Amino acid sequence: MLRCYNLRKSYQSTERIDALNDVSLTVNPGEISVLVGPSGCGKSTLIRSLALLDLPDEGKIEVDNISYNFPFPPDKEFIKPWPKITVVFQQLFLWPHLTVRGNITLALKTAMSNGIENRYEEYITRFGLNDLSNRYPNQLSIGQRQRVAIVRALVLKPKYLLLDEITSALDVQHINRLMEDMKEIRNEGTGILLVTHLIGMAKQIGQQVYFMDQGRIIEQGGAESLRQPKTEGLRKFLSIVDV
Amino acid sequence: MSVIEIISKYRVEFLLGLLTTLKLCSIIWLIGIIVGALLGIAGSKWKKAVGMPSRLASFVLSGVPILVLLFWLHYPLQSMLGVVIDPFLTAALALTTVNVFLVADTIRNAMLDFPLQFSQAAKVCGISGRDIVLRIQIPIILRQVLSGLLLIQVNMLQATLFASLISVDEIFRIAQRVNSEVYRPVEIYTALAFLFLIVCLPLNGLSLWLKAKYTRDFSEK
Repeated sequence: MLRCYNLRKSYQSTERIDALNDVSLTVNPGEISVLVGPSGCGKSTLIRSLALLDLPDEGKIEVDNISYNFPFPPDKEFIKPWPKITVVFQQLFLWPHLTVRGNITLALKTAMSNGIENRYEEYITRFGLNDLSNRYPNQLSIGQRQRVAIVRALVLKPKYLLLDEITSALDVQHINRLMEDMKEIRNEGTGILLVTHLIGMAKQIGQQVYFMDQGRIIEQGGAESLRQPKTEGLRKFLSIVDV
Repeated sequence: MSVIEIISKYRVEFLLGLLTTLKLCSIIWLIGIIVGALLGIAGSKWKKAVGMPSRLASFVLSGVPILVLLFWLHYPLQSMLGVVIDPFLTAALALTTVNVFLVADTIRNAMLDFPLQFSQAAKVCGISGRDIVLRIQIPIILRQVLSGLLLIQVNMLQATLFASLISVDEIFRIAQRVNSEVYRPVEIYTALAFLFLIVCLPLNGLSLWLKAKYTRDFSEK
């Protein structure tokens, strides 16, 4: 189970910004959790904190049986949780100098020494990328790039997959396909935390829903939370985005 | 006397001049690229201790024309210090210094502009820090800077002509000397222009090709 307790994180710009304020959240294996909230509410900060890319100021993160307590001593090395937890970023960040094959197998080579080709073939066939193996990221459409980024993460068989707004540039057809992919990944036992603005998608695939605003989790519950919100904040948010 | 006849008659002088130009260039290129790259990397890593002094030196140097720097190192400085240094060494020192800071600037800027997220995307895939540097950062940065570095080196090759003004017997000075003997400026300087075209054009073409081939759009639009 990927779980965080009372995470706090603040930034100092012209004034102090509390990006995360007492945030607790759980991602269960084999379950899709959805994180919704207005822009700038701290969703990406939470994803980065959960992935231990940006360490929180306070709180605790548990990755199965490993606990990370914060503040973390700056000179101390921590047990790396990657690729058990992995992230697909909003801007995808495919490595521009590598082909689709290079992007996917570079990650694989660090995770396994045998059977790389078989695993690669299995995933590119499953995600319909066979014809794109030798293309570079800038020769792909946004939908294709997004699938490559997902495959790059999935071939590593992560236990927890954090998806940060990857739907923002997709059309309906791609979104439907992505939803099917996510259900399949979930059924294989991967825990997914999906950050999205697409409430329809969240309703369809989310088993746990978290609504975040101003660095706090305001409401959490099952998918029904999005149909019958309990808090005024979520109600207002849905009235704006769920059209 | 035709161009062919002039070149044939003075072939030894021209070859020696060309050799001097190539020797000068090799020193400027080799030291400039190696030291400049190291300075650029150090400058991006230790921004205050190395980066700022290096930027300052580069800023000051950019305000001094190469010719003035060359003359200043050759005449006033040596006269102030009471030493006489071989003009070839003075030219090599001046042009190498310029090259070092130009290369350092290019490398440092590319490293500072490198999108951190490419490394973070590798990190979450479980790729080791060493592999992130070797397989992601260096190849991407190299592709970004290669074209620019090549253009700088072509400019440095052209700047070696200034060495003739402090009595270095490089190709331009030889051409001037031959011209003073046979007085055929059109033929001699046209031949010299062709020689530089033959060397510089392929390098410029290679630079454009590298830019087109390797400079990928980071934004992935």
